[in-house]
Amino acid sequence: MWEIIQQILLYIGIILVVIGALCDLIGALGLLRFPNFFVRLHAATVGTIGGAVYPLFGLTLMTVACDFLGYWKWLLASGSFITALIIMITAPAGSHALARGAHRRGVPVEPKVCDFLEEDKGRGE
Amino acid sequence: MSVEELVKTVIMALMPIFGIAIALYTVRIIKGPTVSDMTLAVDCLSYDVCFFMALLAVYFEAPFLIVCAICLALWTYIFDLYIAKYLERKELGE
Repeated sequence: MWEIIQQILLYIGIILVVIGALCDLIGALGLLRFPNFFVRLHAATVGTIGGAVYPLFGLTLMTVACDFLGYWKWLLASGSFITALIIMITAPAGSHALARGAHRRGVPVEPKVCDFLEEDKGRGE
Repeated sequence: MSVEELVKTVIMALMPIFGIAIALYTVRIIKGPTVSDMTLAVDCLSYDVCFFMALLAVYFEAPFLIVCAICLALWTYIFDLYIAKYLERKELGE
């Protein structure tokens, strides 16, 4: 029974890691090709959440099945789980802080529909 | 094919993709018009290296590399906050 569960976890983990690598490549291409900062922020989020959090969860599932690592596989599994949790919490917070700082510094918002933060800044708040 | 061969083959097949991604992030770091663009690229590159380090820990059977990955993720968050604070107030605190 445990061997069957290990096989299922191994294949789910490998699929997640491969998807994560592709997301990483897409995020890097978007970060290189997009026109300005606030559009690049979208590609950067694809690169961090899709390219680091999902494959780290996949690595957690994958290392549970890696018996060739001995008992160290539990260190690897728990370490990748903790790293994925840390990145999942801190990457959006850092991106929001950076976007706010860039907006305050005056980086232009190019395809703009409405910008309430700029209106508030114009009113002196 | 045993589990070890399968896992190591997958990791070896994924390494060129990570190489290309890291090269593209480096191009953005060098080209970046503003400081915030460079910071964003360094951010993505650090999280990328963080996951790459976890893959290398499985590949080389060296589990202590995962400790470095946790520290790198936390350091990147602090780097983001410091750059954002500098951009907003033009000072880094006492």
